[in-house]
Amino acid sequence: MNVLIVEDEKSLAGEIAAFLKSENFICDLAFTGIEASEKIAVNLYDFILLDIGLPDYNGLDLISEARRNKNDVSFIIITARGEVEDKVKGLNLGADDYLAKPFALVELNSRIQAVARRKFHISTRSIILGEFLLDIQSRKLLYNNNEVELTRKEHDLLQYLVLNQNKVLTRQQLYEHIWGNILDDQYDSNFIDVHIKNVRKKLNTHAPSPWLETVRGIGYRVSNDQ
Amino acid sequence: MIKLRTKLALFNLLSKLVFTAVFIAVLPYIIDRINILQTDNELIGKREEVIDLISRVGIEPFINKDSIYGFGSYNILKEEFISLEKAKLESDWNFIEISKRLIDDETIDYRVLNYSFKVDGEAYLLQIGKSLLSISHTRNNIKKVILIFLLSIILITLITDLFYTRRILRPLEFIIDKLKATSTPSLFDKIPVNTTTSDFIQLDLTIRELMDKIDELFQKEKEITINISHELLTPVSVLRSRLENILLQKNLDEETALKIEESLKTLHRLKTLVNSLLLIARIESRQYLKEDTFNLAVLLGEVLIEINPIAFDAGIIIQSDYELDMLIRNANKSLIFSMIYNVINNAVRNTPPIGQIIISSRRVACRFEISVSDTGKGMTQEVMDLLFLRFKKKLDTREDSTGIGLAITKSIADFHGIVISVVSKPGKGTIFSFLFPENS
Repeated sequence: MNVLIVEDEKSLAGEIAAFLKSENFICDLAFTGIEASEKIAVNLYDFILLDIGLPDYNGLDLISEARRNKNDVSFIIITARGEVEDKVKGLNLGADDYLAKPFALVELNSRIQAVARRKFHISTRSIILGEFLLDIQSRKLLYNNNEVELTRKEHDLLQYLVLNQNKVLTRQQLYEHIWGNILDDQYDSNFIDVHIKNVRKKLNTHAPSPWLETVRGIGYRVSNDQ
Repeated sequence: MIKLRTKLALFNLLSKLVFTAVFIAVLPYIIDRINILQTDNELIGKREEVIDLISRVGIEPFINKDSIYGFGSYNILKEEFISLEKAKLESDWNFIEISKRLIDDETIDYRVLNYSFKVDGEAYLLQIGKSLLSISHTRNNIKKVILIFLLSIILITLITDLFYTRRILRPLEFIIDKLKATSTPSLFDKIPVNTTTSDFIQLDLTIRELMDKIDELFQKEKEITINISHELLTPVSVLRSRLENILLQKNLDEETALKIEESLKTLHRLKTLVNSLLLIARIESRQYLKEDTFNLAVLLGEVLIEINPIAFDAGIIIQSDYELDMLIRNANKSLIFSMIYNVINNAVRNTPPIGQIIISSRRVACRFEISVSDTGKGMTQEVMDLLFLRFKKKLDTREDSTGIGLAITKSIADFHGIVISVVSKPGKGTIFSFLFPENS
């Protein structure tokens, strides 16, 4: 997939590009609004990561411009100004999602994936995890066709790990994904540990779950070779 | 301390009393003067009548030419007398005086007109007198009437003064009430006072302008905080992405990975601090809407869904003992969620295993009060005094903690007009209470 990264902070743009390339995206960079406007007019992108706080351009105008030109590229807004107004304005203009700085790269990835699934109507296949089956679409974890009862938070946690499988996710990344920013100050690494412990307990009453790994000192990982 | 309108009424009363006292004091003199003038006029009138009569009928009917006795006449009540006698006078008499007369063993003060005249070479003295006793009766009666009249006037004006000053000073009380109700300058009621008194209009206007100025300064300060926070978040974002990319590298040795994760944790703390400051600045500059209507009991349930697994894991029981129907209006639901979450989460952190947390509610005169009480380690008064201050004291020593959670709680409460109270005993536990405002 083609991604244009519109970000005036060059080192941030570079890091995002490096990450997305490792996730097999083709990345293009624009450091100013004018540069971005030209690139959007000429090239075909699937996604545009748009920092709306550009020095030379109101980032939101890029969305209106693209829509006027019948360009239905997906926008994901990035901003350090976490104002609700900006978010609402951006989404009203037709942006697909919204991320506040500083965001986790894995979070960015999962947002892009989610938009892509919606846009291209990709029905996610079920994922086999050892003796379990995770149905992303219906949000169900099955063992021998029987549902393993998970709470909403436990399910979110497991699904996030699965969608980023084979990557170590830190407790902060997991916490942010599930609780967002409003409870930022209440971050407690213990929260994630407790929930993982509960998920494991529930899994282990059916079958062992060696695929849900603890990476010492760092976080958790779902290892899956399939 | 005395109210202005009481002072005004008292001053009015006092000045009237002084005026009345002076008036009453000089009143007898004035009445006497008027009376004597009046009496003298009457006496002169009578003298003219008598002289007129004598000039018409002669002196004979009154007094014999050769007799040594004069003519005298008293009316029955001895209020008046008239006498005519021959007199050898060195000069002409024509004056009015006060003199005592002994009549039937009774000494009476008379106002007496003395008038000398000659008829056929013979000198006569005419005396017309009027008793002063009748004058003093009149004086006392007039004094009584005037005294009663003045006292009634004073009483009536005191009542009307009180009523009127209350009316004209009402705008002042209105302004005072407005100021009392103003917790921050921006919340000052901008509706002008309804009055025709220019002083009050001026006062109201001046206060309003002052409030606007202060508010503007506050807003500028908040804006600076917000701008600094935004500026800080971009470099934090760069660092975070860079560190995350390093952590994602294959073949990263464990030691480096741990260090990177430690750095990410530190960065997370920095981010949390910046975001918390941003949150407080936004709340204090009222960038959040208060438009939600929700059931507080449902919200408490949502908070508990989040916290129960953690509390259960820590061996703490959370008991819910609150009313199931508590409708809150004009509030920001997600802020209220944070506020309550912070306090319950704090309680969980500060309560040892096998502890208990009770969440209860009660109504205090149409207002809801939610209390979170724990059997935790409690706090000393010293700690409690610093509880809601930013960065003043880190209550828990956990590495993740930024010590700003309760400052956020406080600013959310202030934003909504919720009163927080804390009761704590070291070793016994702590009770946090939230008293919601009446209109919610």
